[in-house]
Amino acid sequence: MRPLDWVVLFGSLAGIVTYGLYKGRGSDTVNQYLLAGKTMPWYAMALSIMATQASAITFISTTGQSYVDGMRFIQFYFGLPVAMVILSATAVPIFHRANVYTAYEYLEQRFDAKTRALVSAVFLIQRGLACGLALYATAIVLTVLLGWPDWITTVLMTGLVILYTVLGGVKAVTWTDVQQMLIIFAGLIVALLTAILLLPGEVSFLDALALAGAAGRLNAVDASFNLRTNYTLWSGLIGGTFLALSYFGTDQSQVQRYLTGRSIAQSRLSLLFNAVAKVPMQFVILFIGAIVFVFFVFEKPPLLFHPVELEKIRGRAEFAEVEARYSRAFDQRRGAAMDFLRAHRGGDPIRTARQVEEYRRAQKELDAARAQGAGLAEKGNDTNYIFLTFVTRYMPAGVVGLIMAAIFAAAMSSVSAEINSLATVTVIDIYKRHVRKAASDREYLWASRLGTAFWGCYAMAFAQYGRELGSLIEAVNRVGSLFYGAMLGAFVLAFFFPRVRGTAAFLGVLAGEAAIFYAHLFTGIAFLWYNVLGCLVVVATGLAVQRAAERGRMRL
Amino acid sequence: MTTGPQRDEPPPFWGSWRRVYLGVLLYLATLIGLFWAFARAFTR
Repeated sequence: MRPLDWVVLFGSLAGIVTYGLYKGRGSDTVNQYLLAGKTMPWYAMALSIMATQASAITFISTTGQSYVDGMRFIQFYFGLPVAMVILSATAVPIFHRANVYTAYEYLEQRFDAKTRALVSAVFLIQRGLACGLALYATAIVLTVLLGWPDWITTVLMTGLVILYTVLGGVKAVTWTDVQQMLIIFAGLIVALLTAILLLPGEVSFLDALALAGAAGRLNAVDASFNLRTNYTLWSGLIGGTFLALSYFGTDQSQVQRYLTGRSIAQSRLSLLFNAVAKVPMQFVILFIGAIVFVFFVFEKPPLLFHPVELEKIRGRAEFAEVEARYSRAFDQRRGAAMDFLRAHRGGDPIRTARQVEEYRRAQKELDAARAQGAGLAEKGNDTNYIFLTFVTRYMPAGVVGLIMAAIFAAAMSSVSAEINSLATVTVIDIYKRHVRKAASDREYLWASRLGTAFWGCYAMAFAQYGRELGSLIEAVNRVGSLFYGAMLGAFVLAFFFPRVRGTAAFLGVLAGEAAIFYAHLFTGIAFLWYNVLGCLVVVATGLAVQRAAERGRMRL
Repeated sequence: MTTGPQRDEPPPFWGSWRRVYLGVLLYLATLIGLFWAFARAFTR
């Protein structure tokens, strides 16, 4: 990072906080603080929804994933537009007309207090863990690459977020999300253009596409059906729809964004904007990873992108041999790539096919050498470090600062929405419902502010001590998918099965959770299918229990 | 409970929400088709 980069980074952070404090003025009632008085326009909610979902680690690891595995991850997002349409037609008008602060408040209107309490508790556990985890993962990557101690990255990001979120509530969160999303868009466009400009002079844009495609990095659609493969067209369309329905329809960190809308139409438009813009945005992020791959066909990448792990393995006896194999493999691949491009430009299909095979063989040998190097390291998976290594080593001054600002913005926008929603559920679904039922508006306002500060400090502490948790981190890494299916099932019963009552729904949620944990612990089913499974088990159990009760076989 | 307005309005374009939803789904199908064609064009 050069002086101009620091100016851009700290200028952006200062701008975010100042803007958040300015826009959060007047949040002096609970309704203003938690729902912005229901005055938000569609475009602010739309960008806030997008910014909440785009965490820093998604930004960092998606590009790395494309570098290593190609663009197949795009299929993960195919279900999102479908889910947005379904939610616009169902959840948005239902929540608006129910006049609620939280999605779980509606569950009590529809079922009973225990179902609301159960689903609220599931949300607090799941979102609390996920919030701390995302912050921890981001801090670790930035710490390694910027050379700062962990606590500085964590305290800087979370401290700024707590400042404007506690003071300004949801208005500050939404308007800073807008600003943060604009920084992210700017960072993405500049990163893509700079990556293309950094390609060698003799390699055109179409050459770059040919090289990425021949190495399998542009494989965006896989139409095969396999329950054990994470990213296919079908897992994306079916599993991805259920995941997006759960996340945008039952997770308060997202529901609260569109509950602030000034009308049902404005909230619908905010979701539909995401339906249209999200998939192309993810395509651009993945495409940056593919271009970075081509860049490193001509510029030798480090054996490992994780700088600390690379330093550690340098001392190993086997290192020199592995590094020599890696260097040979890199030279071979670069030569094969140039031969392939010459054949490709010449238009001779037989020669081109032969050179493609040569290029792929060279790529395999390079991958094998890299895997050998990774085998020497304690933490061999360096996917999260690829993009930032490219940014910090090769991008010009100013651009590095902008991309770092985009990554900080992505982290801060997610954390602010998460602590805001965690505080809302704590105050509305727990404190107001079970502890102080008839307190003044002022007391609930202060409870909301304290709740926001508490969850902010909790996230900071979790991130700080995350390293100590070791294997637990691995266990909760896919925490959302372990809970979302059951939560979605409760709302599906509420929306579409009017005969089902509270106890049947409650037992359905418990059965859905049991089914998901069984699938997670004892089967190899890919995680995107957990949401489908959990939702179906909740609905089936809820209906069966209700039917048994109506026939007098069970007392509810 | 909140006290905010609960107005429902038609969409600002295409006349009905049903048409807007259909437009979004057609757009998704087009995007998937374009990605498939893009992958095929450059994957040998």
